[in-house]
Amino acid sequence: MISRRALELATAILTGSFGVAVAVQSLDNGIGWSSEGVESGTFPFLTGLIIVAGSLYNLVRGAVPAASLASVPVAITSIELRRLAGLFVPAAIFVAAIPLLGMYVASAAYVFAVLAIPKHQSILRSGVTAAATALALYVVFERMFQVSLPHGALAAALGL
Amino acid sequence: MDNVSELLHGFTIAVTVPHLALMAVGVLLGILVGVLPGLGAPNGVSLLLPLTFGMQPVSAIILLSSMYWGALFGGSVTSILFNIPGEPSSVATTFDGYPMARDGRPTTALATAFGSAAFGALVGVILITFLASWVAQVALAFGPAEYFAVYFLAFASFVGMGGAAPIKTVVALAIGFAIAAIGIDTVSGSVRLTMGVDELVKGVNFVVAVMGLFGIGELLVAVEEEFHARAVSSKIEWREVFRAIGRLPRHGVALLRSAAIGCWMGITPGGPTAASFMSYGIARRFSRRGRYFGTGEVEGIISPETADHAAGTSALLPMLALGIPGSATAAVMMGGLMIWGLNPGPMLFVDQKDFVWGLIASMYVGNIVAVVLVLLTVPVFAALMRIPFVVIAPLIVIICVVGAYSVSNSYLDVVMMLGFGVVGYLFKKLFYPLAPLVLAIVIGDKAEDAFRQSMLMSKGSLSIFFANRLVTCLVVSGIALLLLPLVLQLARPFRKSTAGETSAQEKVII
Repeated sequence: MISRRALELATAILTGSFGVAVAVQSLDNGIGWSSEGVESGTFPFLTGLIIVAGSLYNLVRGAVPAASLASVPVAITSIELRRLAGLFVPAAIFVAAIPLLGMYVASAAYVFAVLAIPKHQSILRSGVTAAATALALYVVFERMFQVSLPHGALAAALGL
Repeated sequence: MDNVSELLHGFTIAVTVPHLALMAVGVLLGILVGVLPGLGAPNGVSLLLPLTFGMQPVSAIILLSSMYWGALFGGSVTSILFNIPGEPSSVATTFDGYPMARDGRPTTALATAFGSAAFGALVGVILITFLASWVAQVALAFGPAEYFAVYFLAFASFVGMGGAAPIKTVVALAIGFAIAAIGIDTVSGSVRLTMGVDELVKGVNFVVAVMGLFGIGELLVAVEEEFHARAVSSKIEWREVFRAIGRLPRHGVALLRSAAIGCWMGITPGGPTAASFMSYGIARRFSRRGRYFGTGEVEGIISPETADHAAGTSALLPMLALGIPGSATAAVMMGGLMIWGLNPGPMLFVDQKDFVWGLIASMYVGNIVAVVLVLLTVPVFAALMRIPFVVIAPLIVIICVVGAYSVSNSYLDVVMMLGFGVVGYLFKKLFYPLAPLVLAIVIGDKAEDAFRQSMLMSKGSLSIFFANRLVTCLVVSGIALLLLPLVLQLARPFRKSTAGETSAQEKVII
């Protein structure tokens, strides 16, 4: 279970560190005024500072919640967290597998795994859905729109 | 009456068989993305974008804008029949639309929604017809300082009127600006903010951000609540359709008020979502039957729907005339315009008359096509909702992955898209607004260029933003909008009587 407060804090820290990174990086480009006008780091530096300041405000707001915020203490229940992971983890594995397996094999495997392993559908139906997905991708992208999707290291090794 | 003759010329471009076919395709695809919970208008339009590169710009924009109309309508279908808003902007439609449908009047609810939506869109298009070329005319005289002031005003109005927590809006905007700055700086040619990743020199494409923020993000929010698509009957009784639309004029005041709110929010840019909530809230306060709102009131459907569509349509006005999109979807379309080699802004009205007036004429026709098609296809798309979410979700993930990859054949984009998905989820969950983030990614560097050019002109003095009446006026109203939330907060203790009425919705959005 994740409380609204923890989520607010985590997000504020996330945005804040992005702001710090932006501000620090733009120092390399130079900030301020030079003979060529406003230096290229100035604008990003300012946005970085605004992000940091805003994140600090949100951090404080999240740590000391107003009365209205206290009325919704739970942001994600444990059941919801399990459902989130059930969607996100396979999706992340799918994305990670693309360089190796290629888009077609990876997406077919992904669809099959997501449908068959939690027994949402029978093995046969999952297999058909998976094959249809890969085939549809191939027809639409490779054939109709001539967009080449990654074939992956596996296909290269097999000499396809 | 130049506008009218231009418009008639536009009709000769829009009303041709290929363009009508494109409208039908666009509307149907739009309803599809509108109905599917993980896909919405912004990422639907970005998905179609690569497919339009070979087209004439006017055909491409007709396809994309029709998809937008379709998505706006499609979002209302699921709101009313399933109590699941397919689009963020149709959340307010669920409040009265679903109760009315559940009470056995789904046709009335749908027809009322579509009728008032069409009215809102019509008002928006009429406004564009008569105002856009005038605004463009004024904008032709703009220098960099005026442009920066208009951009500033646009960003400030998100903060002042967007409906989300002001500081969260500021953070979202600033993150968008920072993302827009990644890559090669257009003024000096130096490389910025690559964080040590060489491939980031090419910058972060807005399509990648939209796919993640809206696609994966929305999917993650949707998966949390297991939907039970308990549809009320989706059968359409045609006689009731006409009867319901015939009853609409009785609510003329609500229609006009909502259309006005929608147009204002679309142009300024507050966006359709904020417009529909604001319109619903105002209707509840001013309607004689306000206390029955939430139980299936007609005006509870009319108000958000009219405002939603009026805002969605009029969001194209600043995009065309000034190069400032009024909503996230308009921002994506504007990105498309730039890819097709058009320069959004007042020069469009001089150089690309066929494009501009073809688009405006297509908006009249496209909305009629949309109303007809959405009524005809309600049962089909309602059936689509019965496909289990576990099957649809991985397919949407794949669509987003392929969409992000095909932007520039880059695997890094896919990884970033997934990262944007997590950010989109967190932001949605905590009521950070996403539209300003996308808007800043699309026009952030233009705003920066305008600022730096004005600084060059004034040799580093900020006084250029107060040099003449127009620019002063723009800057001052921008600052006023920025300070508006602060003023309202300070004033709150003085109006205790109304404070007790803040709805649950407002309570959650701190």
